[in-house]
Amino acid sequence: MTLKWRDVTTEAKLLLVGIPVLLWTIIPVYHMFLFAISPRDQATSGRLWPKEPTLQNFNHVFEQKHFYLNHFWLQLGNSLWIAVAVGVLTLFIATTAAFAISRLKVKGGRTVMNLALFTYFIPAAFLAVPMYKTMATYGLLNNRWSLVLAMVTIASPYCIWVLKQASDKLPWELDEAARIDGATPLQLFRLVYLPLMVPSLVAVGTYSLLLAWNEYLYGFLLLSNEKHLTLAVALGNFLAADDSPWELLMATGFIYALPPAAIYYAFKRYMVSGLTAGAVKS
Amino acid sequence: MASVSFRNIQKAYGKVKVIHGIGFDITDGEFVVLVGPSGCGKSTLLRMLAGLEEITGGEILIDGKVVNDLESKDRDIAMVFQSYALYPHMTVRDNMAFSLKLRKADAAQTSKRVADAARILNLDALLDRYPRELSGGQRQRVAMGRAIVRDPKVFLFDEPLSNLDAKLRVAMRAEIKALHQRLKTTTVYVTHDQIEAMTMADRIVVMHDGIIEQIGTPLELFDRPGNLFVAQFIGSPAMNVFKGTLRHRDGQSVVEAQGGTWPAGPVRGRDGQTVHYGIRPGDLGLGSAGQGTAAKVVVVEPTGAETELVLEVGSEQLIMVLHGRTAAQPDDRVGLVIDGRKAHLFDDGNGQRID
Repeated sequence: MTLKWRDVTTEAKLLLVGIPVLLWTIIPVYHMFLFAISPRDQATSGRLWPKEPTLQNFNHVFEQKHFYLNHFWLQLGNSLWIAVAVGVLTLFIATTAAFAISRLKVKGGRTVMNLALFTYFIPAAFLAVPMYKTMATYGLLNNRWSLVLAMVTIASPYCIWVLKQASDKLPWELDEAARIDGATPLQLFRLVYLPLMVPSLVAVGTYSLLLAWNEYLYGFLLLSNEKHLTLAVALGNFLAADDSPWELLMATGFIYALPPAAIYYAFKRYMVSGLTAGAVKS
Repeated sequence: MASVSFRNIQKAYGKVKVIHGIGFDITDGEFVVLVGPSGCGKSTLLRMLAGLEEITGGEILIDGKVVNDLESKDRDIAMVFQSYALYPHMTVRDNMAFSLKLRKADAAQTSKRVADAARILNLDALLDRYPRELSGGQRQRVAMGRAIVRDPKVFLFDEPLSNLDAKLRVAMRAEIKALHQRLKTTTVYVTHDQIEAMTMADRIVVMHDGIIEQIGTPLELFDRPGNLFVAQFIGSPAMNVFKGTLRHRDGQSVVEAQGGTWPAGPVRGRDGQTVHYGIRPGDLGLGSAGQGTAAKVVVVEPTGAETELVLEVGSEQLIMVLHGRTAAQPDDRVGLVIDGRKAHLFDDGNGQRID
């Protein structure tokens, strides 16, 4: 009986925390959705469900029927291109770095890890101006590579750290067995290391991809030509006018939020196991 | 197949020396076991032979060729690890074929050799399984299969049975021995378990603190341990050892200890010298009270075929193993009958055997 009572109170406490957190998360999303399906004149009516829900807004977005949406598909494509490029590049850098430091035990590996950790202490906004200057020096401003390179710089340290921790958990004997079996370091990397790291690679790849997809500040700073903007920055530009088309902004925002949700849902199994791998010594 | 030679091998991690100049030869086809307590350097020695550790000093030769500067893969050796070290993402077949695949061996040849190894090890039915779907013993066999497929000059085993339960360990012990008798490949086997060493080895190398204590066949080590360490390390239950004073009387030697005299056969050594007297549990005979050295029974442990007795003599507790059964009860007074030729005497100073 006492045990049961305790179960009930535990459950109640969890709900007490869980429900506000859920509402906190859901309400803005619902708000966005509400705007997105409301006709223009009813968008700010304050109702919980619009009188005449409509998909007209989405139609406007897809057909680029507004001044702000002239380059919707192009900008969505930019976002996608940049996010994928950042994901792939970060993955390559972080994987090779983690392999070299954790498995090949290259000299200076510890220093690299310490520096990677150190970069956590510097907020990304802090580096915005130096990064802008750097990109200007190399003539990369208003080129999508500038955003890619900046995001790779920001994502890599964390990814190296996570992958290094995960690599350390692979049994050392596997490397030795492979070496005795005749594997070169590259074969070890390709045939033994990579297949065993797949869950962590998926997690880290997704992380960096979403980081780039969601990035606003650096996109705003480094890209200026409308045709080069990412959709995140383009969304911000909606607010430049006094009379912002809120329903279109929200519809576009809703579309923009779907791919991350889908990716996260598809890989959630890896996300949990991958990002926590190496968190505890087993 | 090949011979292996260690010449004055030394190993140091920074300033800490762990192996202090080891040298011995292994002949072609021999099964040599390196045995010793944890930290004695046996695994380090094996790993140096495998090319997984740098050699600080000395030379290692395989087939008469110095291999110090050769990569592991060029030494033509195969190693079985304690943790099996199977590639978790490959099937048994792929695990076994991995080394041949890296060598770009012909596909038909590869599958034939894998099939042969699988037949020898009874793995035919498991070839398409993944390591996680196998039991401990099966994984161990796959690890051996991976070594066999290579047809290497030397097999190296690093405590391969430590992760198995007691029953399986005995079975695998016999399997490895049978495998060696069939393939006749030179084998170096590391273990801390002296029973494994005794049952499997052609020759045993007993190591302790980075040096060799003694090299010999299992029975040589058992019958004539060269020093106190080997005497106490080899044999189970361990040899009874206690201190006493050596006396020579009428061409016979005895040791005075624990208020009694212990026959020691004719040995050299100075009269009055302090020695360690050693006698194996199986070499102690049970007599009636008044016969031989007086003792008191403390514990009787029947194991079926044998009976183990714990006896008290003076302040010393001795273990006796009887082949058969006994009517002796705890607190009984008994006598100890000892054949002096079975006793082992060791110098108190350097622990060396006195003959």
